[in-house]
Amino acid sequence: MSMLMLAVDLDAYIPIGLLVVMAIVFAAANLLMSHVMGPRREGPIKGSTYESGMDPIGSARKRFNVRFYILAMTFLVFDVEIIFLYPWAVTFAKLAPQSDEAALFLGRIMFFIATSIIAYVYAWRKGVFRWD
Amino acid sequence: MADKLWFLIPEIWLFVGVVVVSVMGLSRRKMFRDLLPLVVCVFLVGAFIITPLLYSEQRISAAGLLMPMLGKYVKMLVCAIGVILTMLSVGLIDRDLEASMSAGRTRFDPIRVNRGEYFSFFMLSIIGVMLVCNANDLIWLFLALELTSLPTYIMVAISRPSRKAQEAAVKYFFLGAMSAAMFLYGFALLYGATGEIELTKLRDVFAAQAAAGGLNRVAIVGLILTVMGISFKMAVVPMHFYAADVYEGAASPVTAFLAFVPKTAGAVALILILSTVGWSGHYGNGAHGLPREILTALWIMAVLTMTLGNIGALLQRSAKRMLAYSSIAHSGYILIGLIAGPPHGLNAVLFYLLAYGVMNTAAFAVLASFERKGEEIESLADLAGLRHRYPVMAVAMALAAGSLIGFPPLLGFAGKLYLFIAGVDAGHIALIVIAGVNSAISAFYYLWLVGLPILAQSTPQSETVVARPVVWPRVAAIVTAIGVVILPLFAQSLLKASQAVTVERETTALDVTVAPDQPEQPTSP
Repeated sequence: MSMLMLAVDLDAYIPIGLLVVMAIVFAAANLLMSHVMGPRREGPIKGSTYESGMDPIGSARKRFNVRFYILAMTFLVFDVEIIFLYPWAVTFAKLAPQSDEAALFLGRIMFFIATSIIAYVYAWRKGVFRWD
Repeated sequence: MADKLWFLIPEIWLFVGVVVVSVMGLSRRKMFRDLLPLVVCVFLVGAFIITPLLYSEQRISAAGLLMPMLGKYVKMLVCAIGVILTMLSVGLIDRDLEASMSAGRTRFDPIRVNRGEYFSFFMLSIIGVMLVCNANDLIWLFLALELTSLPTYIMVAISRPSRKAQEAAVKYFFLGAMSAAMFLYGFALLYGATGEIELTKLRDVFAAQAAAGGLNRVAIVGLILTVMGISFKMAVVPMHFYAADVYEGAASPVTAFLAFVPKTAGAVALILILSTVGWSGHYGNGAHGLPREILTALWIMAVLTMTLGNIGALLQRSAKRMLAYSSIAHSGYILIGLIAGPPHGLNAVLFYLLAYGVMNTAAFAVLASFERKGEEIESLADLAGLRHRYPVMAVAMALAAGSLIGFPPLLGFAGKLYLFIAGVDAGHIALIVIAGVNSAISAFYYLWLVGLPILAQSTPQSETVVARPVVWPRVAAIVTAIGVVILPLFAQSLLKASQAVTVERETTALDVTVAPDQPEQPTSP
């Protein structure tokens, strides 16, 4: 019985298996086709690093100030906040105006926004934006 | 969903505390920074008071949790011990920095102070344990367990300004990440084998599978991986390697925290996970319904944990390492209760968590109360002849160690007694005999902790040990030592409080026994 169950369970993985196969085939086919069919023009400028249109200066393997890392973390605070604000906004528009439920929804998101504002104040106080 | 949110009010309250504390820690005024432990205590006491008010019959039945009453007991326990642990941490963080700022040698610089962060992480970790109790699905359980552990990595690193602490934190972090990966893989397999992530539904599917001839093989592998991963939090062999180094590297107050909070989270998580496969006798093979594979694994882990923990402790000359190994051994005793199962085993586990929390914190509190030239004491020899200069602390250490042995009439005796009775009741005589032998071995090294402070003469080395300037660790040691003596008198009522957890479970267990009789339950998606 347990062997049978194992078989049944593995059946459930067939879609995942198919997905994996499709992903591999798609990637391989694209690489192969562009290799076979694509035009090829090579040169020193073509081979240089693409930096959003700027001429690349110096090596990319240099040390960055650790502040960028803290700044990136601060950015994440707002990034995550927006992820939650989107579904909230979509749902909130559908609630009956002036209803208790809407007030509860508003209260919850306000609490959430307050926490991220405090996170921002904390980072500010900690000196993240001081760029001496 | 909304019914369950009621039970989260203590966690939300503590989270507000986290926010307050982290901002207060950056205050320019020294007074505010020194008030932090008091604020933490206020929030913890608040959560302690709020928790029992929330558990009305109506909300419990509406919440649909696997063991709804678990939260009440564990949350109150963790908050109470949390207050003691806060006392231990007074004046620990930023000690040199604060001193030099008071003397005017250094200017206040927000980026260099860590005290607010320390207490924030402290409370976040406690929130993690509280969330574990409320877990009703695997994802919640995973997140709650990680919320318990992640802050502790940082707490270890900032607990004292030494390389040892940072080394300990890195070891702890990497091994912790490995254990998280392990039980996450286990959870994935459990989901694969049942198609459910909700614990109550998992239980029903497992009951149906067991009635139909045995658990799915994939589910067994998943359960074993889960149990192994979670046992890291409890420092159970074979996931105990980190314990000695990490406990030694962290400052004593943080070690006391590590020995109690993640361990409680692990024990509660194991109770929840094992409840889904159930202990009740309708799984065939024998009186104990834990699947044979799981039962064997737990049995071996319990024996190895007790034995290796106690033998490891025998070999130590550092009091902190000794207590680290002793905490491994105590996890082994806790596993006995998990093997015995409800009602008595689980009651005994919950009661033992309380007993262990009090007596172990008492021992660490004594260590945290002393220092030599600003460095905390570690070796056993430092405790020699403590009674000449600090008689109260010497007695506190002796009481804590006596209770850790399980010496009647102290608290540890009551705890072990209930565990062993539960084990015998469940028919695991061999396991209890091994546990008894281990208790005898443990007496040998715990008696050092009794004898050195009380009986031995001071040495030139131990003469240089002085009490820390802050009084709170000593207060914590005295409070917990009194608890070790007084609490056994209330053992009956405390045990009754822990029994409320399994009373609730027995009513839910009834559904499980009914489930196989119902017409055709789907076993897989």
